[in-house]
Amino acid sequence: MTAVEAPVEAPPVVRREPRRWQGPAAFAAVALLALVVAPLLLEPFRLGLLAKYLCYAIVALGIGLAWGQGGMLTLGQGVFFGLGGYAMGMYLKLHDAGGDLPDFMVWSGVEKLPALWTPFGNPVFALAMAVAVPVVVALLLGALVFRQRVRGAYFAILTQALAAALVILLVGQQGLTGGTNGLTNFFDFFGQDLAADETQRGLYLTVAVVLGVLYLGARQLVRSRFGRLLLAVRDGEDRVRFLGYNPATVKTLTFAVSAGMAGIAGALFVPVVGIISPALLGVVPSLELVVGVAVGGRFALAGAILGAVVMGYARTYFSEELPAAWLYLQGALFVLVMTLAPRGIAGLAAGLVRRRREAGT
Amino acid sequence: MSEAPAETTPAATASPETALLETALLEIRGLQVAFGGFRAIDGVDLTVGRGELRFLIGPNGAGKTTLIDVITGLTKPTAGTVRFEGLDLAGRREHEIVRLGVGRTFQTSVVFEELTVLENLDLAASFRRPLWSLLRRGRGVSEEVAAALETIGLTSLARSRAGVLSHGQRQWLEIGMLIVQRPRLLLLDEPVAGMASDERERTGELLTEIARDHTVIVVEHDMDFLRRYASQVTVLHEGKVLMEGSVDEVRADPHVQEIYLGRAREDAEDAVR
Repeated sequence: MTAVEAPVEAPPVVRREPRRWQGPAAFAAVALLALVVAPLLLEPFRLGLLAKYLCYAIVALGIGLAWGQGGMLTLGQGVFFGLGGYAMGMYLKLHDAGGDLPDFMVWSGVEKLPALWTPFGNPVFALAMAVAVPVVVALLLGALVFRQRVRGAYFAILTQALAAALVILLVGQQGLTGGTNGLTNFFDFFGQDLAADETQRGLYLTVAVVLGVLYLGARQLVRSRFGRLLLAVRDGEDRVRFLGYNPATVKTLTFAVSAGMAGIAGALFVPVVGIISPALLGVVPSLELVVGVAVGGRFALAGAILGAVVMGYARTYFSEELPAAWLYLQGALFVLVMTLAPRGIAGLAAGLVRRRREAGT
Repeated sequence: MSEAPAETTPAATASPETALLETALLEIRGLQVAFGGFRAIDGVDLTVGRGELRFLIGPNGAGKTTLIDVITGLTKPTAGTVRFEGLDLAGRREHEIVRLGVGRTFQTSVVFEELTVLENLDLAASFRRPLWSLLRRGRGVSEEVAAALETIGLTSLARSRAGVLSHGQRQWLEIGMLIVQRPRLLLLDEPVAGMASDERERTGELLTEIARDHTVIVVEHDMDFLRRYASQVTVLHEGKVLMEGSVDEVRADPHVQEIYLGRAREDAEDAVR
């Protein structure tokens, strides 16, 4: 390989098709684990945590698509996550208030329901917006930015600034958004008590199924011609132009898909965790998601998901045991992975499998 | 924009292109490109008819690659027009020009290393499909792609990653990616640069084959290659067209000998050989 600027270890020379049954078998095993074993073994509190991590995994899947496959390092996925979360939170707040003003509005002295809130009383509208708003924002941003050939670090900084800006906006509009506290105190979820174990188990299963479906969809995307085009854009955007494709369109669409995934994740996160607030979608959580994807392996969709779950558990464990060390550990882990194993856990695992196969077993 | 040097060569005025003017595939008039104060192209007129195989030669800095860059939309001209099939190319973006039917290769070939040879070709061949139809899984090999694989001699490497190809093989893959796009004009920028002699030979054969049913412009430095495979030649010098004519006319021209002598002795010796 002559690659001068590829710090990433070279994949095998001839791409060998993995044996047909291996992929589906692995997927079925993970599905069994997630849908049957986990709900049976985990106590409700732990199952709730896993549901939360799986929400992050949905965002991570989108990051894997945009960054790993498309080369767009997005440091602002929290924005789309937040937009989806707030859409769902607004519906839940209105539903709980039952025709009155939501509690936080009363506390902030708001007397009439703002016009922006009114349609969110309809759950179908709210759910549609949880996806549509992130997608449209990403489409607009992408159309503006990618057409102007903004990329690499500039794009990353731009998305990060967007996350910071949204936080400021949300905090500043106390009466409309609940300010720093965000939206919380939800009680009823489509006629079920949100605090009940049964409801939470149902939510967990929903999140797991949604993640599985989105994973299959993303996998289909990656393996299609569009997926190859996306890789080509990542590795040689200028060359792609001379094949007659507009890279800006390819990038914008992919970015919108990843934003839609983050929106769905946000909408699921709210009933699972019971809160959406600026602290959950700003610069730091957006960065943490990217770190998770890097650790899991950004070039494999499953790696991105794995990374989000592993980082979620690591964070919970260390903030219970060694809260002060977590931040440093996370930073150290990121540096280690980027320097020693740029393909992350997924890359290490794939290397192991390959070596074993080459050993002739 | 009068071309003073061109008048000195009778071949340029009496060339068969005059008859083809009405149907010229590519028409460049009064083209100027300036980078800061430097005029990379200074008043170039060039007409290429359908089915022609045209070589563009000239010493380093003559403006050959810049000319290709302007045609393909990579560089914006300061003045002048480029017409392809009568359409003004000014202000069109790169991928739009490709869609009109102008394809090019680069001096340093850029194939997609993570994709296989087959996938590279398939991607190139699919560019006219609507974007949504790309979402389907592309299975199988289209006849067109199979034919191109055959032409460029990479059938046995179809399922290898393009990253493992040699320099020569990469150039052929690039040419293959051009062919499957069915362009009406192919621009090859120094296709044999850095190639071993057997690779050059193979590339020459490939070029001859392609030129049979395509219009091709080849930028080339290599005099030996030129002598073997060129017929019509345009010589650029310091951003201007120095002369146009057949290979023999160009090689016999004292001006051409002079600039090659002045620039690089080795090239000059090749040129007059």
